[in-house]
Amino acid sequence: MALMVLGTSSNAGKTTLAAAICRCMARRGIAVAPFKASNLSLNSYVTDEGAEIGMGQAMQAWACGLEPAADMNPVLLKPSGRGVIQYVVNGKVHPGGRPEPEYLLEQACAAYDRLAESYAMVCEGSGSPVEINLMGRDIANLRMAAERGMDIILVGDIERGGVFAALYGTWLLIPEGMRGLVKGFVINRFRGDPGILESGISRIEGLTGMSCLGIMPYEEVMLPEEDSISAKKGGRFSDARKAYMESLDRLADTAERCLDMDALMLMATSDAAAGPRR
Amino acid sequence: METQTPSGRKGRAIMVLGATSDAGKSVTAVALCRILSDMGYSVCPFKSQNMSLNAKVTADGHEISMIQDLQCQAARVEPTFRVNPILLKPTSDMRSQVIVEGRPVGVYDVPSYYGEFIPQKGFGILRENLDALRDEYDFVVMEGAGSPAEINIYDADIANMRAAEAADADCILVVNTEWGGSFAYVLGTLMLMPEDDRRRIKAVLYNNVRGDTSGILEGAAELSRLTGVPVLGAVPHLDCRLPQEDSEFFRHTDSVGDGDAVIGVVRLPRISNFTDLDPLYGEDVTVRFVRSPSELEGCGAVIIPGTKNSVSDMRWMRSSGMADAITDLRGMVPILGICGGYQMMGRMLSDPRGAEDPDAGDTPGLGLFDAVTSWPSDDKVAVRDEGVFNLTGEPVTGYEIHMGRTETREDPLFTVGGKPEGSVRHGEMLFGTYLHGVLERPAFRRHLLSLMGEVPAREGDVYAEDLEAAIDGVADGFRKAMDTGLFRRVFMEGF
Repeated sequence: MALMVLGTSSNAGKTTLAAAICRCMARRGIAVAPFKASNLSLNSYVTDEGAEIGMGQAMQAWACGLEPAADMNPVLLKPSGRGVIQYVVNGKVHPGGRPEPEYLLEQACAAYDRLAESYAMVCEGSGSPVEINLMGRDIANLRMAAERGMDIILVGDIERGGVFAALYGTWLLIPEGMRGLVKGFVINRFRGDPGILESGISRIEGLTGMSCLGIMPYEEVMLPEEDSISAKKGGRFSDARKAYMESLDRLADTAERCLDMDALMLMATSDAAAGPRR
Repeated sequence: METQTPSGRKGRAIMVLGATSDAGKSVTAVALCRILSDMGYSVCPFKSQNMSLNAKVTADGHEISMIQDLQCQAARVEPTFRVNPILLKPTSDMRSQVIVEGRPVGVYDVPSYYGEFIPQKGFGILRENLDALRDEYDFVVMEGAGSPAEINIYDADIANMRAAEAADADCILVVNTEWGGSFAYVLGTLMLMPEDDRRRIKAVLYNNVRGDTSGILEGAAELSRLTGVPVLGAVPHLDCRLPQEDSEFFRHTDSVGDGDAVIGVVRLPRISNFTDLDPLYGEDVTVRFVRSPSELEGCGAVIIPGTKNSVSDMRWMRSSGMADAITDLRGMVPILGICGGYQMMGRMLSDPRGAEDPDAGDTPGLGLFDAVTSWPSDDKVAVRDEGVFNLTGEPVTGYEIHMGRTETREDPLFTVGGKPEGSVRHGEMLFGTYLHGVLERPAFRRHLLSLMGEVPAREGDVYAEDLEAAIDGVADGFRKAMDTGLFRRVFMEGF
């Protein structure tokens, strides 16, 4: 089993939240790895083995104390202008046209299984899982979670407003057969006194059966600049990585304080056969 | 369009709601105001409560939000305080100065605003002004605030469904498709409302669609079958140059323009009235919002804009190193301070009563001018100005909104109503003024740009023309994207 972090929109804060959870687990000595089945991004990172993966998974790998690896992001979609998308599968450019979703799902599951043999898994989805015009072809979110029986949490961004609508609407559009996988939600980027949210949170809990697993306050995370990270050698890179890790450790402290970390870690490690590893 | 609203009858209210705070409500309301005005109707905008640090001044000297002022222009009506009877200007994270019917009435925190002000006064202010506008106009285009489905503050939310109810408005729910999740936002918004409110929402508008709209329209049609609420259209991303509100602007913007000449604008923590910079966006310059001294590198001019709290922002200028970085540039590049920025350019901000900042006392300024700002009373200046640029005698216009008063020993930059205004040291290229909007007319803008090397300024009232063109462009974009038959039937004729 694994934890799957899904967002109510593409900028909800999935990547950073998953990184914070990874960091908290790694600090407790748990062997944990990040995973994103399919990533749509221009920002890629080249691993030591020469595989190309999404930048988010590279940063999550560091949070786990691991070196980034191809299996952490088996499918990378890189927009290359004028509506053309380049497919990177298992770290290498996929030749030919657009691969079938089923093929990509197979590759993603295989990569996931390789990682899950040795690690507790913190996975993230891509964009919103309920784009009803795209759901048939979307392998990154509900399909992946269902294939491997993951526990899902939803992340909603409160900074833009409408977070209760986003959480409830997302839950309503998840097919009924899959709603059982959705265990809870996190409200992200909150400013102010969390007490003001109480009545709204209990209403959403009552309507959906999801539990609120915490409210993350607004916090700036020092993300390394793209170019400083791509320039893999030399001082700038290690400085950028160091600054990111310091910033992430502060965020992990906040996550420990504001989230139900025990419940989240239990989801990430709850496969009895695999068990939490030390 | 033959639909007529017999005189004496209350005007129809159309309300634009947003699934999130940057859904595109304001621009939708701009478009609808212009579309209805183009059809020959009398139309007026309305937003009961707006939180913004971008204010304008009406002809009667009342403060309203910048965006309702813009919507009045789109509707081709003279703005009055009624179009935005409550304006909240945040002074810190949890407190706001409350402007009612154009005048400040005090500073409230969140509990006292929602617990006391709204129940005691808010609903009355809402109804009275809305009724007055509906008596006067064929259509009132109302704008909501944030999401209308904030279930934790639902009953105290006078900006959304309670306003819709007060005007018996037909509502359009606008959702920004840029971040995805729009179907979830729409469905969740509808389903969290009580039935009586939900049935006021007559259509959904998918906004800011990047690329092909067919995918969104396909999903929208499917969702519409589920909810019974029809789709008004899918509006593509419009590349429009309309002034934007605070939250939207700084979420997406570090700089505007791509000219070689760079104007550094200090991104003050309480920055206000930054629409003052809009006239520069049409020039061949880059306007860069600067938060740290290193970002000032390469700037050919520096502008210190307005702020809601010049005392605390002056302290930030010191602690961030911006103060030293700017004074180091003295005499090398032009430096312009507007309103709060002008106050900071003086020797001292003297606030022993704590009128500007609760942390009362004297705060040293940048010392660029021999000038001292104090807050002798709580009277606020809110006035439109016409004057001349003393150097050339050419006209300037603008508006003032401030409580502080500045005593200066410098030469005046402008003459307004026969009186000296602002401070100037031409030799050192230092300029300070209380006039917001001072760059709109060409004279002073041209002078500032000329000091940056040979940056040519566009001549004539190009800014005003650009703004009109932008409003027309937005109206065209919406007209093309909307199901106009549905709009006429449901929102204009009420079927």
